[in-house]
Amino acid sequence: MFFIGFFGLAAVWFGIVVFRTFSMVRSALALLFSQTALGAMFLSMQAEFLGVLQIMMMATEMSIMAIFMVMFMMDPGGLGEMDMTHQKRLSLGAGIVSFVAAVAVAVFVDWGPVATVVPDAAQQTIDLGLELLGRSMLIFETAGITILTAMIAATAVAIQPGANSTTSHRRRPVSTNNPLDSGMRRNDER
Amino acid sequence: MTTVLLLLLLAVGAYLVAVIEAWTTSGRLRLAAPLLAGIALLGRESIVPRKPDQVFFEVAPVLLLISAILAAAVVPLTPDLIITDLATGALFINAALVYVLVALLMAGWGPDGAYAMIGGWRFLGQLIAYAMLIVMPITAVVMRAESLLTTQVVVSQAGLWNIVYQPLGFVLFFIASMALAFLPPFDLTTSKGELAGGVEAEYTGVRLAIFRLGRLALIITLAAATVVFYLGGWQGPLLPPWAWSAIKILVVTATMLLAGRYMPRIREADLLAWCWMFGIPLALLNIFIVGVLVLVFP
Repeated sequence: MFFIGFFGLAAVWFGIVVFRTFSMVRSALALLFSQTALGAMFLSMQAEFLGVLQIMMMATEMSIMAIFMVMFMMDPGGLGEMDMTHQKRLSLGAGIVSFVAAVAVAVFVDWGPVATVVPDAAQQTIDLGLELLGRSMLIFETAGITILTAMIAATAVAIQPGANSTTSHRRRPVSTNNPLDSGMRRNDER
Repeated sequence: MTTVLLLLLLAVGAYLVAVIEAWTTSGRLRLAAPLLAGIALLGRESIVPRKPDQVFFEVAPVLLLISAILAAAVVPLTPDLIITDLATGALFINAALVYVLVALLMAGWGPDGAYAMIGGWRFLGQLIAYAMLIVMPITAVVMRAESLLTTQVVVSQAGLWNIVYQPLGFVLFFIASMALAFLPPFDLTTSKGELAGGVEAEYTGVRLAIFRLGRLALIITLAAATVVFYLGGWQGPLLPPWAWSAIKILVVTATMLLAGRYMPRIREADLLAWCWMFGIPLALLNIFIVGVLVLVFP
């Protein structure tokens, strides 16, 4: 119980850190450690496979998210202290509504009797495999495709048409896609 | 007690990797060289670059070392000589090794230097190339063992080692683990010539010593994992189990270090293209073949 509480608080804290920093990489990695803390919560609830899987998957996903954030944000290092939040009242409202909804689901749903005996880790893996290839297959496949579609759509929306395209004939005179150039220049500016 | 013993063995292994690496590069076998180099690094001033991301800069070398040690925790040297025989061992190795990427990203971003940053992001690209070739061959290994327990994986190879049973998987895993350990020819992230050391460029003194130790521990852990997954682990005639493990791990390490010496560094784009166009289809084919074999000859 202590560990569940500890990692739960850690997850919440890292979640807050995500929005308290200006650096995109810090933000992404704070989200990673928030998710890792969730994985540790799974582990302390003796759900070994789910915990290890969570810890593994999130590391790759958040790192890839970091490079996307660096690519698409104007001030990825946060050195300019640019404010990247917008529509504050709307997002505040949406945040509160979803928090209340999540708590309501947690409190009011009938979760059934609490399991007294936890199956051993190997048995859990077997059960989980059968579940994923049986009853829950459609849900997981749908969720997977949805996430992929959202990623492609978000990338497509974020790219400015023709700005950095190497095939475009209307190339801008100053190319900024060489990271060495921009890194050098940033150092000179200081 | 076992944990302490295994951590000591990991340290000895890392030292031997350093000796073998120097041997493969310079051709001279000098047993004391890594010790002297280590002392020299510890005595050197540890310079902090201007305006670093302090947290990342300090955490990265330690995280690299920790992820290598965690991965080593589920690798058995004999049936009893293992830190923890997790029921999800084969998955746990992956989970621990993914944090090598996180450590290198931190090390790349942290110092606020151009070469380091390019090195760090390069490793992310490299991960996209090699990651599937680590996970998919392990899947095939686990399919044969019908268990994620690493000790069970070794036991499943009693009749026939996996290197014979699934040679395709072995080749893919071997190449991918060289890429994971950023060994030549996949040392894009720390390349000496073009990036002045890449993610290592801004590190000096104690921090560099920890970083290099983490890399050495990573290499020996990956060699040990290769032995467990494909070379029958501790199994072998006459000699005791620990001796077989040690011999096999050292041979695999030497092969990994030697293989890269005779190849030019592979370009990022080529690595990605080859891994996705040939590597992943071959890994899927390997899973299919092993699936058929497991079903036909149980």
